Amino acid sequence: MAGFREFCILITIAMVFVLPVSALEQQQTAGAQVMVTNVSMDPQVFMVGDTGTIAIEVINNGAQSVAIRRATMFDEEIMVDSRPYDTTTYLGAGNRMSFTFTVTAPVDEGIYYPTFSMDFRDSGYLRYPVKLQVQDKPLKISVIKKPDVFMDGKKENVDILIGNPRDNAVSGVVVYPSGEGIETTPSSIFIGMIAPDQSQKVSFSITPAKSTDLEIHVDYMNGINSHSEVIRIPVDLGDSKTRAELILSNIQVERSGSEYTLSGDVTNAGLEVANAVVITSGDEVTPLDPYRKYVVGTLQPDDFSGFEITFSTEGVGNVPVVVSYKDNDGKLYTTTTNINIPSVRAGEQETGDLPITMIAIILACAVVIGGIVWYSWRKR
Amino acid sequence: MINLLDLLARPERFFSSLEGKEPDLRIPAAIAIVGAIIAAIAGYAMSGLYTELYAGIAEGMGPVMGIFIIISAFIGFLVMWWLVMAVVFFLISLLFKGRGKFTHTLANTGYGLVPVIIGSIVTTLVFLSYLPRIVVPVIRNIQDPAVIQEAMQELMHDPAMMEYTWVSMAISALFLLWSANIWIFGVKQARNITLKQACITVAIPVGAFIIYTLYIAVVGVPIPGGA
Repeated sequence: MAGFREFCILITIAMVFVLPVSALEQQQTAGAQVMVTNVSMDPQVFMVGDTGTIAIEVINNGAQSVAIRRATMFDEEIMVDSRPYDTTTYLGAGNRMSFTFTVTAPVDEGIYYPTFSMDFRDSGYLRYPVKLQVQDKPLKISVIKKPDVFMDGKKENVDILIGNPRDNAVSGVVVYPSGEGIETTPSSIFIGMIAPDQSQKVSFSITPAKSTDLEIHVDYMNGINSHSEVIRIPVDLGDSKTRAELILSNIQVERSGSEYTLSGDVTNAGLEVANAVVITSGDEVTPLDPYRKYVVGTLQPDDFSGFEITFSTEGVGNVPVVVSYKDNDGKLYTTTTNINIPSVRAGEQETGDLPITMIAIILACAVVIGGIVWYSWRKR
Repeated sequence: MINLLDLLARPERFFSSLEGKEPDLRIPAAIAIVGAIIAAIAGYAMSGLYTELYAGIAEGMGPVMGIFIIISAFIGFLVMWWLVMAVVFFLISLLFKGRGKFTHTLANTGYGLVPVIIGSIVTTLVFLSYLPRIVVPVIRNIQDPAVIQEAMQELMHDPAMMEYTWVSMAISALFLLWSANIWIFGVKQARNITLKQACITVAIPVGAFIIYTLYIAVVGVPIPGGA
């Protein structure tokens, strides 16, 4: 019996020393079974100074739960803004768990490896470098179409191409032009997301009122970070090289008293259509019926039409002839051509018949001379 | 001195008083010179129009042009109205076997210019009243006769100019008829022809002149190469 009792004591002692060792081995094995299964970042590629998140998913592939004492991320250059997970947590067998860290990348362009660190309560740890790319490539703005010359108040189309040279997509892209004295239609265009190496074309109608700089702004988001790009296009007002140019020729002036009839040809010597061409006299003369204004209508390039206006004036040697037309956008253009006319001097009264005074003088002369002649023959 | 009233109203009596005397050209010449001066003054007044007409191509030529017109008008009156008219009367009266010295015809023609001079004064005054209202075109190209012709036509067809032309023509014609009345008796006395022959002698050049004046007033002065 004594031998059985000694055997039991021996077994018990053996159990006391052997069992903890076995449990420790099991713990160490379980820690090795925890592994990182997924790393996701928002944004996928950081810009210099961007703030984003790194989500790391781990899985416990072991048969027993694992006690996680602390999970954190650290790097010498990448700033980790969020606090570490320092509450002991059990990760059950076969379970997954995500750890999300907020980081800021106040670094130059390059690839960085902040380290994800997980310490187990009992023993062991997990170190996992995470690849973080920082790219200093903003969206590119290209002007693909604009007029050679802007004109005061004339609507012109400007086409813009927004390109994304980055390795990740950007979102919330909004394009809007601005400039002092510039009216744009539409005021802004929402593009949304632009995938990597993709571009998006937008078009604006620009109506400048003075010479200035047209600014094309592009606002976009890289993750949660707002970014903005701008380019400036000088808007120098001038005369269009292709606009309609109306030339008056073959001018003929007919006068009747103080009333004038001015006729001639108007030719479109420009390269664009002139709509609603109207010819009238200037303010210095008084328009008269039947042609106070002469409506020519539409003149195609190299086309011409006759016109005729009637007016009255006194003491004016040059009559301003005003030619107005509209372009395809409805902008009104006015040109004034001075036409030299034979003037009517002040005080002139045109009757078309001999004035009474002159008739009286002639009759008086006729009576006197007739009487003298009659007298000379009578007194022979 | 001459009896002006007889000359103007009783020319037969005036020329009868000169019968048997040697023709004296001093008074007729004085009358003609007065007429020439009046014509020169009228020409000077009219030169302003031509100065304006050529202002576009001959700026500053006004005084020169004025002097040219004054001299032309002065000489033209003496030649045309006195000398040429006397020659024409003398030649036509030859057809009627007229007798008498040319100087006699020249003297009597000179006396007959008095109404023409009065008419010139009247028409000059009338012209001065029309002058401010006449619109003068400007010739831009003296090389092109058509341009000059067109400008002249425009000037002559100016309403005020046309009105003056007709008024002056009527007045001139009336005073010319008055002079013709004097010339009839002067030619009759100078050339010893009948009254009827004298009427024909005077009527031919005077009628031709009035018709020519009417033609110029209607058609205008043609410029060579300007048709």
